[in-house]
Amino acid sequence: MGTTNQEFLKGTLDMLILKTLSRGPNHGYGIALHIRRLSQEAFKVGEGSLYPALQRLLVNGWVRAEWGITETGRKARVYQITAAGRKQLAEEVRNFDFLLANIARVMEGA
Amino acid sequence: MKFWNRLRLRARRRRGESELVDEIRLHREMLAEEFVREGMSREQAARAAARQFGNSGASEDESRDEWAFPRFDAIWKDVVFALRLMWRQPLVTVAAVLTVAFGVGANTAVLSVLETVLLNPLGMPHTADVTVARVHVEKIKMWHAPDSAVEFAEIHEMREAFSAVAAIEGRQWTYDTGGQATRLLGRAVTPEFFRVFGVSPVLGRFLNQEDRNSVVLSYTMWQSQFGGDRGVLDRTLVLDGTPHQVVGVAPKNFRFPPDAAAWSPLILSPERLKQRGYNMDLVVVARLRDGLTFRQAQSRIARYNAALWNGPDGKDLKDSGYGVDLDRFPEYLAGDLQAPLWLLSAAALVVLLTGCANVAGLLLTRSASRRREIAIRLAVGATRWQIVRQLMLESLLLGAFGGLAGLALAKLAVLLVARMPIPGKDVLALAALDGRMLAYGIGIALASGLIFGIVPAVQLLRDGQSAAMVRSRRRWFQDVFVSAEVCGAFVLVVMTGLLLRSLWNVEQVQLGFDAHRITTAYFTNPKNDATFHERLVSALANASGVESAALAYPVPFTTGGLTSGFVIRNREHRPDEPEWHGEAYFVTPGYLHTLRIPLLRGRNLAESDGANAPTVCLIDRKLAEKFFLNQDPIGHEIGMYKGWAQIVGVVANVRADGAEEETRPVVYYSLAQIPYFNQAAAVVRSSVPAGSLIRDIVRQTNASAPVFDVATMEERIGESMGLRRVLASLLVAFGGIALLLAAIGIYGVIAQVVAEQTREVGVRMALGARGGQIRTMFMRQGLYSGGMGLLAGIMATVLVQKWVSTLLYQVRALDGKTLAVALGAIGGVLIAAVWLPSRRAAKIDPQLALRHE
Repeated sequence: MGTTNQEFLKGTLDMLILKTLSRGPNHGYGIALHIRRLSQEAFKVGEGSLYPALQRLLVNGWVRAEWGITETGRKARVYQITAAGRKQLAEEVRNFDFLLANIARVMEGA
Repeated sequence: MKFWNRLRLRARRRRGESELVDEIRLHREMLAEEFVREGMSREQAARAAARQFGNSGASEDESRDEWAFPRFDAIWKDVVFALRLMWRQPLVTVAAVLTVAFGVGANTAVLSVLETVLLNPLGMPHTADVTVARVHVEKIKMWHAPDSAVEFAEIHEMREAFSAVAAIEGRQWTYDTGGQATRLLGRAVTPEFFRVFGVSPVLGRFLNQEDRNSVVLSYTMWQSQFGGDRGVLDRTLVLDGTPHQVVGVAPKNFRFPPDAAAWSPLILSPERLKQRGYNMDLVVVARLRDGLTFRQAQSRIARYNAALWNGPDGKDLKDSGYGVDLDRFPEYLAGDLQAPLWLLSAAALVVLLTGCANVAGLLLTRSASRRREIAIRLAVGATRWQIVRQLMLESLLLGAFGGLAGLALAKLAVLLVARMPIPGKDVLALAALDGRMLAYGIGIALASGLIFGIVPAVQLLRDGQSAAMVRSRRRWFQDVFVSAEVCGAFVLVVMTGLLLRSLWNVEQVQLGFDAHRITTAYFTNPKNDATFHERLVSALANASGVESAALAYPVPFTTGGLTSGFVIRNREHRPDEPEWHGEAYFVTPGYLHTLRIPLLRGRNLAESDGANAPTVCLIDRKLAEKFFLNQDPIGHEIGMYKGWAQIVGVVANVRADGAEEETRPVVYYSLAQIPYFNQAAAVVRSSVPAGSLIRDIVRQTNASAPVFDVATMEERIGESMGLRRVLASLLVAFGGIALLLAAIGIYGVIAQVVAEQTREVGVRMALGARGGQIRTMFMRQGLYSGGMGLLAGIMATVLVQKWVSTLLYQVRALDGKTLAVALGAIGGVLIAAVWLPSRRAAKIDPQLALRHE
């Protein structure tokens, strides 16, 4: 797998996490669960790769993290999207749409 | 934003890591629970969770990387490694750090003095366009003389060249502070003075045309005498009994001249403005007009000189070689400090470069022994760049530590220099290490770190190439290294030797008078007290512990006698003869006895040679021999001060201007007969230093006479040699360090060559070479490059000799003895430094050598 591909996946994962968090705060497992369900298990990258991505989002200031209690009464780190994160999400969605549209046009043309 | 988030996360790294581990464990537990709910057994669920989650260790690592500064971390790791290495070889480290410290310390200290004196004089702004005009009279070898009012007026007219021109005249006022008379130093200046320096007052205004009894205070004076009170503008200062209105205060960074506490208006009378060559006591400063270069202004002055010679008095002026020179302000200020300072900075540079070369050699030796370590690091995947980075970092660290130690040394040295009592060099007291100097010191330290780090680094990078090539290149470096060190040390040792010999010669000069147990102190004559001098002399002579006492103006070893032309009655001045110039001293009869100056003929001055008696004088032997070769000068008349004076005696020659000055003919007048001066000095021979005694007696005799400039004669003589002594001792230090460094460096290089060729030596010996031959082989290499260095050193000495000749006294710059001694010293050190390792090579046991490595 080339670097571009990895970067592309990373970017996509970031977008998916932000999308998930835009519906409300969640912990790591919850985010993984959500993405798994939405993508109908198509996204079978190791769920471990979620955590580097979350750190990356923290560093960029797109999410905030706090320790809280889950529905099942466990102590877990709960992530929340920030205003900057929403802006980033909108941006990424726009880029993604643009990319998809272009790919579609090329494919049709061929 | 991103940076700060990262930093924050990084700062709480410990906690962050444990949180991450907790989080990941929780995730896997929840996954496992989900699988259990789907009906798996506990073990199956755990396995499935692990599969689904992926490598949790990798996940932790990658997460951690998100908060890391990868490049910074790698460098940090290198730093720690380098520090550990330095710690493990403390001797090498200390040697390198000290070597750099000497170089950096010497350079920083010398530069900060150079800065204060030459580069940014007195720390004053806007001085780049300030020039100083001074008179020279070639025929009497008078250079850099002050101007008369005529030159000032004429230069003032050159508006096309100078935007502001001012004349400055010295002033010393008696100033009453709370009932006690104090002497206050200041200057009288013409109105454009402050404009020449482009400064504006911090308070009030500067002087203008209308000012008469006004005064501008220096910032220091304002602070110390008036506590920085802004109401000072309403005050008057009583100077010499005349009230002076304070009109303004000069800014803090305006310190010219450094000893001036106040400036008053200089009024030049119309008569004075007509008398060229009279009252030559003005310093003329001029500001270049905007856009005019210094060269252009100089050529304007050259045209002025030419016009002088073609003018109405042209013939006289031309015959005596009269003219005006224009100098830049810093050069004027530095005066005779200029040459010593450049010499010292060159010496400091030699020390620094020798030091750098040594440390490079040291690191080279060490890197050779580290080749194995580096090979392993390369083998396990380090890039060459990483290795070089590591090596450079090590040398930079050495440089930085050396720099810090050097700055401490420099701080100490500058403190010492600032305290040095060198008369007329009060500029030096202003030398200080400021921020820029510190930056400079650290800068050269790091630069030397880079320089001496680059040699071993390049060497290592080349190691991949064929071994033979590396070896030949290393030889080349080592040869140059030995030559350069020998050359630098040789030049420094020669310079040091020359200055030491000059110092020795100066100290050997016979002064012609006995300076032991003599105390001198100036005082200002009180007003309206005709018998003050008589009363003072007898009070001093009768004080307990005093052997004898006299008054004199001036005192030897202060300003020198008052220089003037003179005439002799009935003796024509031949036209081809240079003008007759002499020096005058004004003394009481006890002067000769007090200073033990022998009277050779005739009689001494007497009490009876008072104001109403005919004017008499003594001449010194030099005058007698020059003008009365085969006749008795007694009874002849000489005209110098106050008409004709009859010569009544001849005294021995005295070096009174300073030991190095070839004194002009001297005339001694009776102080009582020439009441022209507002000051005089007490000269007292006593069993103990009599400074406070003189102060007390002067005050008892007349309380309104301030005493100043108190010093024993030996102190005055010492101060006049101060610059020479300081220069010589600094050069001895620099030369010694350079010589020591060169010895260590050469020894190190040859020892290194021997170590590298141990195997080769073993082979040669096994094939039958004898120890002597081996020794000769190594010695030849060292002595050859050392000899080249000596040759280069001799050539360099010839090149720079012109430069130091002004600093020498009765020694030629290419002095055979000094050169021979330096040659011997350096040669001896070179032979010893080469011989020791060569002998070791000769003792190599071939059996051991062949098993070497």
